[in-house]
Amino acid sequence: MMRPTATQRLDLWIRQSAPMVLTAILAVLSVITIGIPGYAAVVPGYTAMATFYWAVFRPDLQPASALFLIGILQDILTGTPLGLTAVSLLLLHALALSQRRALVTKPFLLTWLGFVVIQLPISIFAWLMMSVLQFRLIGPEPVLFQYLVTVLGFPVVAWIFVRIHRYVVR
Amino acid sequence: MAKRPGSFSSVAQPVRSLWSRFAFATLIAAAFALMLLGKADVLLVERARIVVLDTLAPVIEVASRPAEAVTDVLNNIRDLRYLRAENARLTIENDRLDRWQHVARRLEAENRALRALTNFVPPRDIDFASARVIADGGGAFVRSVMITAGRRHGVTLGNAAVSGEGLVGGIVEVGEEYSRVLLITDLNSQIPVVVERTRDPAVLAGDNTRAPRLVYLPQNAQVVPGDRVVTSGHGGVFPAGLAVGMVTAITDGAIRVTPFVDWERLEYVRLLRTGTEGVVQPESANLPPFSVMGQETTTRTRGILP
Repeated sequence: MMRPTATQRLDLWIRQSAPMVLTAILAVLSVITIGIPGYAAVVPGYTAMATFYWAVFRPDLQPASALFLIGILQDILTGTPLGLTAVSLLLLHALALSQRRALVTKPFLLTWLGFVVIQLPISIFAWLMMSVLQFRLIGPEPVLFQYLVTVLGFPVVAWIFVRIHRYVVR
Repeated sequence: MAKRPGSFSSVAQPVRSLWSRFAFATLIAAAFALMLLGKADVLLVERARIVVLDTLAPVIEVASRPAEAVTDVLNNIRDLRYLRAENARLTIENDRLDRWQHVARRLEAENRALRALTNFVPPRDIDFASARVIADGGGAFVRSVMITAGRRHGVTLGNAAVSGEGLVGGIVEVGEEYSRVLLITDLNSQIPVVVERTRDPAVLAGDNTRAPRLVYLPQNAQVVPGDRVVTSGHGGVFPAGLAVGMVTAITDGAIRVTPFVDWERLEYVRLLRTGTEGVVQPESANLPPFSVMGQETTTRTRGILP
């Protein structure tokens, strides 16, 4: 086997780090204001979608440490308690990874269904954690809305991920 | 992914898998530790947040420009559709405001005369800074926005942020150039207010919905839908009299107030630099942000300031 040249290695490195860079960008994008009525209250969990997608299709390119850092980044940006999003993303990653065999070769509809099922306990967990941290039960409606928007928006965002997966990451 | 060549992988694989499990558990534990640390209100966590916020805010500011352009286009299209109706509405409103202006001028004159009679000590005038909203801390758990003003612009913790319509929230994190405003709808927001008509004191407690609740009202309070709610100035953090919202729903469980602020079009906020002790910066004390009439009041404030 021939040793790859420096440019080849750089090329490979850029391609392979694309998923995590993309997730980090999505973390930043989720705080950008758009003037759609009610949008801010129900920003879909872009990073959750990305985490699930890459955990199912390219888990080797999604190291837990990077996920942790992205979670912390999003916590700081959105002002949620530090660590909450990080734990959620890590658990989502682990759950998706454990069901990977059942999801990876199936038609997209089933993968989507997998996300719908797996994201539910994660959302409930985040809601419970937030309630514990606030010392009171917080209203479940915003979490429910966010869950719905996230799982309903998944196909649209996943379409972009598929393109990036196919042409950038390879 | 390219498979690593050589026989090393057969040995390394189990070790690596063990290591990755350990690393995973460590990261989860670290995240939980951070949550506890943040809950314990350690200064370190707060500092770290602010440093990261200050570094990342310019990136967000740049990224928010295209989003803003999109919003502008959307708004323009919407505005075009209602241009005629809007024009008619504004003409009527202008008529009405002219009458109000007349009333306000008369009242102001009367007020001034009465104050002179009674040696009334007015609340001190407030200095302010304007800032742009660059990020909306969305998500299900927090209602906050990031703005382009920080310590360098004289912003301090607890300063009130207002828009043209009313109270937006209070400053909870101050960076060098950027800070974060906790909106009045947030779970952690509790603001001393009074019902304008009856002067009943209460606390406006956010719960992450669009309409915060009015709590700790006196037993005999007579609040009806349509009552305006303004800040009371109790606690001395926010100035008194800032418009907050209107009572819109009274059920047996809760009295809900719909804020005046148009959350979807929140682009700029004014920060009232009261400081925690309510000190006025004298050089701009002649620009009271909440006077009824623009120009006339400047003479008044100059005369009364100690």
